[in-house]
Amino acid sequence: MTPEKQSSRSTRSQRKIAVAPLSDFPPGTRMEVKVGRVLIAVFNVDGEFFALFGRCPHQSAPLSRGRLQGTVICNADTCWETQWAHDGEVLVCPGHGMEYNVRSGKAFGYDLKLRTYEVVVEDGQVIIVM
Amino acid sequence: MAADGQSVTVQKVEPSFNPVQDEDLDQYGDELSGLTIVDVDVHVDDTLMFMLDYMDGHFRKRMETVLQADFKGEPGNSLRNMIAHIAWLGSSYDKPPRAKLATKEDLLARMEKGIIDYSILFPSELLPIGYLPEPEWAAALATAYNQYMVDAYNNLDGVKIAIVVAPQHPARAAQEIDSHAAHPDVVSVCVPDVGVNPPIGDEKYWPIFEAAARHDLPISFHGIEALIHDNYPLRVAHFHTLMQVNSMGFPFTSMLQIMSVVCAGIPVRFPNLKFAILEAGLTWMPFIMYRLDAAYLRYRTELPALEKKPSDYIRDWYIGTHELEALPRRGDLAKLIDLYQGQDTTMWASDWPHLERDLIAGFMRYEMDDTLRRKILGENALRFFGLTPRK
Repeated sequence: MTPEKQSSRSTRSQRKIAVAPLSDFPPGTRMEVKVGRVLIAVFNVDGEFFALFGRCPHQSAPLSRGRLQGTVICNADTCWETQWAHDGEVLVCPGHGMEYNVRSGKAFGYDLKLRTYEVVVEDGQVIIVM
Repeated sequence: MAADGQSVTVQKVEPSFNPVQDEDLDQYGDELSGLTIVDVDVHVDDTLMFMLDYMDGHFRKRMETVLQADFKGEPGNSLRNMIAHIAWLGSSYDKPPRAKLATKEDLLARMEKGIIDYSILFPSELLPIGYLPEPEWAAALATAYNQYMVDAYNNLDGVKIAIVVAPQHPARAAQEIDSHAAHPDVVSVCVPDVGVNPPIGDEKYWPIFEAAARHDLPISFHGIEALIHDNYPLRVAHFHTLMQVNSMGFPFTSMLQIMSVVCAGIPVRFPNLKFAILEAGLTWMPFIMYRLDAAYLRYRTELPALEKKPSDYIRDWYIGTHELEALPRRGDLAKLIDLYQGQDTTMWASDWPHLERDLIAGFMRYEMDDTLRRKILGENALRFFGLTPRK
């Protein structure tokens, strides 16, 4: 990587985007943030904030409109028993139902991860760090 | 405004329980402007309650009984939901947004965006009539549906209708075609092909093809998830989940019906009749074409009516893009279409507003030259349905 490119990446990673005053962004709500052409979905889940790339890679549906619910899992940890899990933390694409872990951005059942963004609260403002 | 000068907008939003308003059309508005766009597979609310007023005598009484039914909170007027709920109640945990039925106002709002030139309306509730066991009841439902649709959706800007026929009653099906063929908004005959037994090429059904050919109305085969019934290739004995039925049911049926029609020599007997397959995806097209060609070498004498090999007939069939398979690379769709030589026969279809609908982004993500994109988005459909360009 050239020094110029490193510098450019470093600059981008420091960008802070104000989303909303904390008082306007209570638990159970979400915001759709558009930075240039990039759409970001921001969620307040029980007081924890999560921000993810806002378009489903499948057919570009806006993920900020997705429901948060649980899903069905079955793996070695469950002894291959089918279980309902991650209740309230599975973001379901409003387009066709692709599911993402709202914490990690990882898609369930796909080798795919959405970009996630750090969210901080500074001086009563909810801020995305890009 | 961000520090680097990029614009920033923030909007409080709500979870969507209604996928009817496909905002992606707005997203591609500029890119699509100036192009002719025909959505060849659109559905509106055609639940059975709308047909009550178009039924007479004992069938009207029967419909009144149907409308009193209630299946787990679903209105009893939804034939599809009744069947689906028996078989796979809640199997997807309501994960995708529920398929909302589009009202006439929803349809007009979508058309008013000015992006789509034509929407071709296909039945929703009557897609399963192919496997209703009683031909008279199926035919009565088709008659009521067609009259309702031409009454409710006629003379709307850019809205065209595919009438439906009950294949198990070919004589009544032919009458339906004769009755509606002259209507300026009727552009195709929809033959629901799932569950039809024997397969649709059988001589029993030829009155349907004769009538369509007589009026120069193209035939559209439209699949449906088979849900529960016993006819090949969709027996629930073999498909245990809705996912299996949904993904394989449509193409299996389509391949069966194409094979049946071509092997029966129908394209030879009715050379000007046009056919389309809807809601079955595309990837199986090269398979059925060239698989049949390989077998044709050995078994041509079983098909003496054919004057050329099977793929030479199937290549003339039009095909809707929905439900577009998830091809991994952006150049794959153009390659696939080249394999079945479908540059002049592939038509963009959304299946709006059903939950499996393809957003236009799903098609636009694939790379192809402008000529091919123009053909798929509209020009091929104009030719198939006999529509006049509007741009």
